[in-house]
Order: sequence, then structure tokens, then C-alpha cells
Amino acid sequence: MPMKGRFPIRRTLEYLQKGDLIFKNRVKIMTVNYNTSGELSEGARKFVFFNIPQIQYKNPWVQVVMFKNMTPSSFLKFYLDDGEQVLVDVEGKDHQLITQHVKKILCKSEEVLHVEALAKMQESNPANFGPKKYCLKECICEVEGQVPCPGTTPLPKEFTGKYRTQMAAAQE
Amino acid sequence: MFKVIGGRALPAARLLAPRCGVWVESVRGRKSRNDPPAKSKEGRIKLPPPVDPVEMVVMKERFTEYNLIMRALRLEFKEEVLRKKYEEETGSLAEERARQDAEEHKILMEWNGAENHRMLKIRQLRVQKETEEADQRKLEVILKRDHERQAFIQQKEQEILQLQEDAKNFITLENLDQRIEEALDRPRNYNYAVDREGRVVKRTVLD
Repeated sequence: MPMKGRFPIRRTLEYLQKGDLIFKNRVKIMTVNYNTSGELSEGARKFVFFNIPQIQYKNPWVQVVMFKNMTPSSFLKFYLDDGEQVLVDVEGKDHQLITQHVKKILCKSEEVLHVEALAKMQESNPANFGPKKYCLKECICEVEGQVPCPGTTPLPKEFTGKYRTQMAAAQE
Repeated sequence: MFKVIGGRALPAARLLAPRCGVWVESVRGRKSRNDPPAKSKEGRIKLPPPVDPVEMVVMKERFTEYNLIMRALRLEFKEEVLRKKYEEETGSLAEERARQDAEEHKILMEWNGAENHRMLKIRQLRVQKETEEADQRKLEVILKRDHERQAFIQQKEQEILQLQEDAKNFITLENLDQRIEEALDRPRNYNYAVDREGRVVKRTVLD
């Protein structure tokens, strides 16, 4: 029941997360034109079969469109946000070669990814308390093992400032 | 006035200590606008809480100062965040980064163009080779067909010549009598047996 289709490994999270084609922010649309038969289109077919799921998983906001048997040769076309179109000819190329080519011209480099990962880690610093939009928790009462929020359960009398000032006044 | 609840969690302000083991809740504002006030509240004059003028002045001063400082701090932090964001997006460093990105993009696009050019050359060569091969094959087919037609014609010519040769031995009305005389003079015996190799095995005598 969990195994559906040929190569069901393509549907596993582990496989999808292994994808290393993360496009730059300016890439908005990716179009793949390929043919369903023919030796020259074999690389493109394999690319579509194996790598497109990984690409879409890693770039959920990029529109990926596939066209079959529309042109005699197979190619990739990328549409950037400033209207520029990038054409990549993939006739006769192997799918790994295609991946490397695309990674070189239009993907974020390792350093950029590293910097972004650091920034994301800083954002999710558990030591910061604030609005949900920017921090993980709003108040220390939300953390397990800490004093619960006095809004839900009343604090013991000894912890209230009112009682303490009363006791201090009484002692004096 | 008191409503019994079924064990759901509620804010502390609404819960009373359960002495009798039943959770009850007090709801504010049970009476509506037109209901008369209670008998126990007859003659009640509601006065605001007493205010000590000296304390009030001191408190007001302290509070204005406190509010001023807090507001200033808050605005200070907000401004810092906005400035950081502005620097990030449109500062000098950001421009530098954008310029570098544009340059790198240009270089990569040129490289991509060169790759496409190379693929184009390869494709042109391949297409040219394919057309040449197709022409070659067509030519071969034509030649073969010619050859076959020539052979056919020759074969037919041979047959015609053979037929012409045979026609010399045909029996016509002119040499009919002569051929009859010849046949009668030379009787042929067809009564013979043949083995598997086609050699004649035995003959019977013609009577």
C-alpha cells in the first residue's frame, strides 16, 4: 500500500530533502520541453522523472511546467522576475550533467545557503521572547518546567508582591 | 447569579474556591439597564476614591517621566530595527552586493550562451550527417532499382531470343506434312522407369 508507482523512493521525504537545486529568488518559472521517445531526449526524461520532484520540494514558490512532444529538441527555459528568459539546451545530455549545469547558472551557492541557514538559526533563538512572528515563545510561562501563567492558575500567596510587602510592613 | 460549570478550565478571576466541591462562577452584570437597584443599596452615594493632592502631584510627575523614558526607549529600538532593515535593503553594502550579483549573473549567462552555442554546432553537424546519410541511402535505393530493372529487361530479352530460337523448330502449316512423315519414321518410346536420382532404370519394349 505505501509503495506506489515505479521508483517509489521519489516520494520519500529523505529523497526530496536531498535535492540540492535551490534557485535564486529571481527565478519565478521553470519550463521543461522534452519528448517521450528518442535517444537524445533520454537525459531530459530522466531529469524530469528523478530531479523535478526534488526541485519543486525545495522551491515551492517556483512554477514548474512540463511540455511533452512540442518541439523536436529538448530544452529548459527559466523566466526571471525582471522578464529575462534563460534557455538551456539539454539535447543529448545526461540528467546529472543537466543538474550540474542548472546548479551552476541559476542556483544559490553554498556560501549563500550557509549564511541563510545561520540567519534562520538566529531567528529561532529560544532565548528570545516576543511576538509569535519573530520569536518562538512570548513569555517564560509557556516553557515547560517554569512557573505557570498567573492568568490561568493563581500564584501562591508567597510569590505575590502584595503579600510580600504586607509581611515586610508587618515585620517592621 | 451563580452558574455551575462542568470542569472546564476558566480564568482565575472567574473561579471561586470550591468549599462544597462544586465549581461555581460569578457573572458580572446580571441585571439589565431598566432593573431597579437593590434594597440594600438604597441611599448609597457612590464617591470616587479620596486623592491626596501632594501624592497626586508627585505620582503624576513620576509617571510622566517614566512614560517619557519608556516611550523614548521603544521608539529608539524601533528606529534601530528600521535602520537595520533599510541598510540591509538599500544601503551601500547592499548596492555593492547587488552589483556583484549582477556581474556574476552576466558571466554565468555568457557561459550558458557558449554552452548553447556548442550544443548548436554539435546538433548542426549531426543533422548534416543525417541528411547526407539519407541522401546516400536514397541514391543506393535508386541504383538498386535501376540495376533490378536492367536485369529484368535482360532476362526478358533472353527469353525473347530463346523463343525466337525455338520458333525455328515450330510445326507450321508449310512443314506439317514433312514433320508428320518424320515422326512416323522415328517412333519414340516413353515407357521407362526412373529412380530417385532421375536416372533411367529400365525400359519396356514398345510393340
